[in-house]
Amino acid sequence: MDIELTINGETTTVEAGSEQDLATVLRQHGHIDVKCGCDGGTCGASKVFVDGDVRMACGMAATEAEGSDVQTVASLGTQDDLHPVQQAFVDNFAVQCGFCIPGMIVQATALLDENPDPTEREVREALDDNVCRCTGYQKPVEAVLDAAGRMREEGVAADGGRPIGGEPADDTAMGKPADAGGCCGGGCDE
Amino acid sequence: MSDDADTRANGNGAETDADGAETDGGTASQSDAAEDLAELEQYPFEWDEPANNDLAPGERDSVSQRAEKYDDRKLVTGQAKYTADYEERYPDLAYAAVVRSEIPHGRVTDIDASAAEAMDGVEAVLTPDSDAVPDAKYTSAGQSYPEPSPWDMHVLTEHVRYVGDPVAAIAAEDAETARAAADAVEVRYEEYDYVTDPEAAFDADAPQLFGDEEVENEIVGHDYDRNRMANIEGELGDPESAFEGDDVHVHETEWVTIRQSHANVEKHTSLAYRNEDDRHVLVTSTQVPNHTRRQLAHLFDIPIRDIRVKKPRVGGGFGGKQAMVVEPIPLALSLATDRPVLYEATREEEFYAMRSRHPMKVKAKTAVTDDGDIEAIDIYALSNTGAYGSHGMTVAGNVGSKPLPLYSKVPNVHFEADIVHTNTPQTGAMRGYGAPQGTLALEGHLDEVARDLDLDPVEFRQRHYMEVGDLDEIAGMMGGEGAKRRIRSCGLDECIERGKEAIGWDAIEQPDEDHLHRGVGMALSAQGTGVAGDELGAAQLMMNEDGSFHLQVGGVDIGTGADTAFLQIAAEVLGCDEDQIVVRSSDTDVTPFDYGAYASSTTYISGMAVKKAAEDAKERILEWGARMLDEPVADLDTGDGAVYSEATGDSVTLEDIGYEAAYGDEEREHILGKGTHCTEESPPPFAAQFVDVTVDEETGEFDVHKLAVAVDCGVAINPGMAEGQVEGANHMSYELAVSEGITLDDQGRAEVSDFDEYHLPSATETPPIESILVETHEPTGPFGAKSVAEVPTNTVPPALSNAVRDAVGVRIQEMPITAAKIREKLDER
Ligand code: FES
Ligand code: FES
Repeated sequence: MDIELTINGETTTVEAGSEQDLATVLRQHGHIDVKCGCDGGTCGASKVFVDGDVRMACGMAATEAEGSDVQTVASLGTQDDLHPVQQAFVDNFAVQCGFCIPGMIVQATALLDENPDPTEREVREALDDNVCRCTGYQKPVEAVLDAAGRMREEGVAADGGRPIGGEPADDTAMGKPADAGGCCGGGCDE
Repeated sequence: MSDDADTRANGNGAETDADGAETDGGTASQSDAAEDLAELEQYPFEWDEPANNDLAPGERDSVSQRAEKYDDRKLVTGQAKYTADYEERYPDLAYAAVVRSEIPHGRVTDIDASAAEAMDGVEAVLTPDSDAVPDAKYTSAGQSYPEPSPWDMHVLTEHVRYVGDPVAAIAAEDAETARAAADAVEVRYEEYDYVTDPEAAFDADAPQLFGDEEVENEIVGHDYDRNRMANIEGELGDPESAFEGDDVHVHETEWVTIRQSHANVEKHTSLAYRNEDDRHVLVTSTQVPNHTRRQLAHLFDIPIRDIRVKKPRVGGGFGGKQAMVVEPIPLALSLATDRPVLYEATREEEFYAMRSRHPMKVKAKTAVTDDGDIEAIDIYALSNTGAYGSHGMTVAGNVGSKPLPLYSKVPNVHFEADIVHTNTPQTGAMRGYGAPQGTLALEGHLDEVARDLDLDPVEFRQRHYMEVGDLDEIAGMMGGEGAKRRIRSCGLDECIERGKEAIGWDAIEQPDEDHLHRGVGMALSAQGTGVAGDELGAAQLMMNEDGSFHLQVGGVDIGTGADTAFLQIAAEVLGCDEDQIVVRSSDTDVTPFDYGAYASSTTYISGMAVKKAAEDAKERILEWGARMLDEPVADLDTGDGAVYSEATGDSVTLEDIGYEAAYGDEEREHILGKGTHCTEESPPPFAAQFVDVTVDEETGEFDVHKLAVAVDCGVAINPGMAEGQVEGANHMSYELAVSEGITLDDQGRAEVSDFDEYHLPSATETPPIESILVETHEPTGPFGAKSVAEVPTNTVPPALSNAVRDAVGVRIQEMPITAAKIREKLDER
């Protein structure tokens, strides 16, 4: 059947089987930034905004999205003009294989919309159903806290801001340049 | 593979030198001195290192900078392409599904595919007899050649040996139809007895998984009558006598590890098609494009040149994608249907039909004097390799050969492992590769001994561990993978010092509540960097006329950032920005040969190949610079995108050189550099792990406040990426300590089918991880680098066990550590 919905600002009609989930349909229409890592609703990789709420697109029938406004991670920023959350993930080395990252960034953005100044605990709680095998969550959590700071301050310094959660680690032995991106060097344990 | 009784564990069929030197009870003799001298010659400490390899921190422009990971922008915007994202390119793509055994052991007597074949949209149903399905035996291991794993598998099998063995394969118009068709296939079996417990499987009366002639390329020590696929053993000195000495305390402990899933978030995915040149192309989520190409060529009897394996972005591997787990299925289906075929495993299949970490029982035994001198160590491992034997012998070998060398001062060492089959899911390579199992046993054991003999656990280790200049004989005592090696970099002291400081080792404050007890624990670990003497990497660099470059490299980035490390290494040599270099990696038609991403080899082996390629190109660039500046090459160097003269200060840009070389009047040259690298070396990186825990003695509940891990990885090519590796590895290690892994029912069927049933510690369940990089300089590695990504996988289980012991005095030896187990032990007291 045909369903009409808005994807990243563009209203379109897509074909969807009655059993098909939204993630599959979005991907079939070229939105490969929606990732699928599980058999449905358990890994968080397919998170998108549906009418402003974060949903796991795989866990939702496409027909249920009829008439709604869907936003994927691609709507947040472009490679040349990243959203502050995306930029913070890059600057904090929070991305390894990247497969979980679209879902994680969608979730982090939703958190900061609601709570611009979260604690580390609140960030962890927000990301709790986003499975990441690569990072141990340490740098993603640092990245979200960093993004929160940048977004609060808005005029983020071009060097990527300051470390979160503690003094900058002494990285001189590693030859870290003075202008390196914000990262705590592992010093964030609060 | 040699089956000679004298040949012990060995990846390459070479004889071992397990006999080692006889010890003389500790008194130095002249023959010892002569022997030492001979060994110094054979394993020299001095390394002929090019001057440019050892740069002081201030001299490094690219290396050890926190350069942006080159693919991050496309990853955070969702534009990067993984295998499944190529589907839109193939309008006539068919989708695969696999019918898998529902019984633990038996023989397929009949496959009724009529209902499946009658379904709309079903293109092909393949069974073991189908023409397109190879009937050759093989191993999925994805190792070098000749393979140190037995050929005991079929692409589709009639003799099923676990719940999950592939029996039939479907191609259909869409994925839903393929899966529905797979469900509609009816398979009848003659059921056999089965065995799921490794100790029971080792019994002479146990059901036997492999009959005569069901295995080729058998591995040393195999005894299929007892379900043993291999037995390996190595010895140094005279441990037997040492254990009998009457001045020693003998301790024995036993440790159990879980069956861990790789849980790569991108599932195993592979797309195969025949192109217009009648060649076979696989776009696939693999760690080993070249090995996959070779294995497919052998299996399908297609010339190597007619197979192209391309690796796009990969969503995590951790060893699980070293195995050629899925590729033969879409290739066979594309041969049968003449259409491109995509096979994406389900998450359920990831848990029951892909690969997992070998569960093991490991025994540790030591002989220690009153003064705390370790006279002998003995480790024995019983490894459950599951239904098939890929990586069975080599992983078990690493249970000994990775952790034991840490204590290179111990004179008498023995290691043995039995690797047995059970009717349970397949195991394989996984980050750490046997070292986590061995490290739990050794580091847990030493802690227990230190407590029993009232020794400081850190100082006790320090007295015996490796130092710069040591000749490590233990890594070589089992021959094959690992050889004797000279230690040229070791940051253990600093790792311990900084780890202690990070955890607050000396200043742990006890909680106010009487029932809460806080404790700290530590563990050490060593790994290797590549498989000693069994690696090859290669790279090629081409200069464009605008002074930019294309780097083609076989090395495989599976999400680790390897491509970025390659760019940093090349940029450092060439004296340009990383963004002046375009990297293309892991495409067997285009990129030079590489063994692939495993054994912690990528930065060290493939990275060194990149460095050599860049140096080769640089030589030509300086030649052209000399001509254009009219100065001798000896006065010139590259930097800031130019060739400059140290003598006159004159310079010419790389762009000018590029145009002159391509379009010059008199002479022209395409500036190319090539590099290929292999080595006998495999220097160990080191880790010191610290864990801070509070245990409730009433309930056994525990709260891990923090993991701190300090790692000596030589010079980190990119500290931000290296920290990420350390943290991710430590999270995986934490999971080994506190999670159940893949649990099985009594038929060996995985009880876990999706992430909600698999207890991967989530963001709230994972303690903060403080990663500390301790820089040393490893002269054999590119710019002083050695490996980083495996060693922190090994350390949390023992360190947490030790911390719980410190907090409440009970010892948990069977992973995972749970509140129930702690409470039970507390109740026993
Ligand atoms: S694919 Fe949607 S949550 Fe995993
Ligand atoms: S970055 Fe690989 S799964 Fe999260």
